[in-house]
Amino acid sequence: MHLEIVSPEQIILSDEVKSVNVPGISGEFQILDNHAPVVSVLKKGSIKLDTSVTLPKASKDQFYKEDSKFYFDISGGVIELKDNKVVILID
Amino acid sequence: MANLKELRSRITSVSSTMQITSAMKMVSAAKLNRAQNAIEDMRPYAEKLTELLQGLSASMDKDTDSPYSDQREIKNVLVIAISSNRGLAGAFNTNIVKRVRNLMQETYADNSVDIIAIGKKAGDVLRKNNDIKESYTDIYDDLSYEDVAEIAEHLMELFKSGNYDKIELVYNSFKNAATQIVTTEQFLPIKPASEKEGEGMSSDYIFEPNKIEIVEDLIPKSLKIQLFKAIRDSVASEHGARMTAMHKATDNATELRDDLKLSYNKARQASITNEILEIVAGAEALADS
Repeated sequence: MHLEIVSPEQIILSDEVKSVNVPGISGEFQILDNHAPVVSVLKKGSIKLDTSVTLPKASKDQFYKEDSKFYFDISGGVIELKDNKVVILID
Repeated sequence: MANLKELRSRITSVSSTMQITSAMKMVSAAKLNRAQNAIEDMRPYAEKLTELLQGLSASMDKDTDSPYSDQREIKNVLVIAISSNRGLAGAFNTNIVKRVRNLMQETYADNSVDIIAIGKKAGDVLRKNNDIKESYTDIYDDLSYEDVAEIAEHLMELFKSGNYDKIELVYNSFKNAATQIVTTEQFLPIKPASEKEGEGMSSDYIFEPNKIEIVEDLIPKSLKIQLFKAIRDSVASEHGARMTAMHKATDNATELRDDLKLSYNKARQASITNEILEIVAGAEALADS
């Protein structure tokens, strides 16, 4: 599936991923291929990606690696998933 | 005829002014380029947000009772004047001041109007006749979304608490490098969507927590991005306006220098002719004797 992480100032990541974990307002959840369409508000926490993605140079420093996952901290946001396309708008 | 030395020094001074204006033009062109890219960078976020918000509102049975869409009787109006910190940009800041005065004297003549100035220039001029409630001047040093979001939150608070019934933004919106359009845009309350635009989102979606709460979470975000966009537009317009102004100044200086050079050459020629005349006259006087 395709994942896009977008902030008001730039597109942080736009790439194919196998799985992504997001801090939903009522608990963290994981999205894999062919997940049902969802729109959710996100709370403060981290987005976790599998390490198969190559991080873009421009925003590489904003990610950190832990337990063989890439972490990206957010203070809130919203996620939309449709037809295997994930868009995360972060604050 | 002006003397040669005087003309020469004027030519030098016009030439050096020309160097400055053309350098400023180049700098503005580079900054404009960057400002335009910055506008491009925020577009994906803004578009997705609008799409979500519209899709959600269209599929909802009733409008939300968000505190930001509260249409009250208009008594107190707040005008946000977005200008720049630096001058030498043609009519860029003057246009903002004019529009704000026009709003106060005509559109809202019967209301009490307060002003918040973003950017130094318009604030300085408006301060002479009006009271400026607050002024933000240092956001331009390093324009970031966080700073703008803070101002937006403050404005939302002012509206929510009932201090103001309407908040308007006045800024130069960016059309292209040579054209800026002075825009008055309603910031709060949010205009009710008169017609439900676009198709609603299909019911296949899982909404977490639920539609209404998502919309209420998205509204403040979209307000922040609206203010951010206005300021970014204003920055790009500023550089565009300065570039045009400096281009004109360089052109004028070139014309002036050419004129001066012509007079200088004429004066030089005249003095040579004079000298020859004197020599010839002298030689003839000797020959006669």
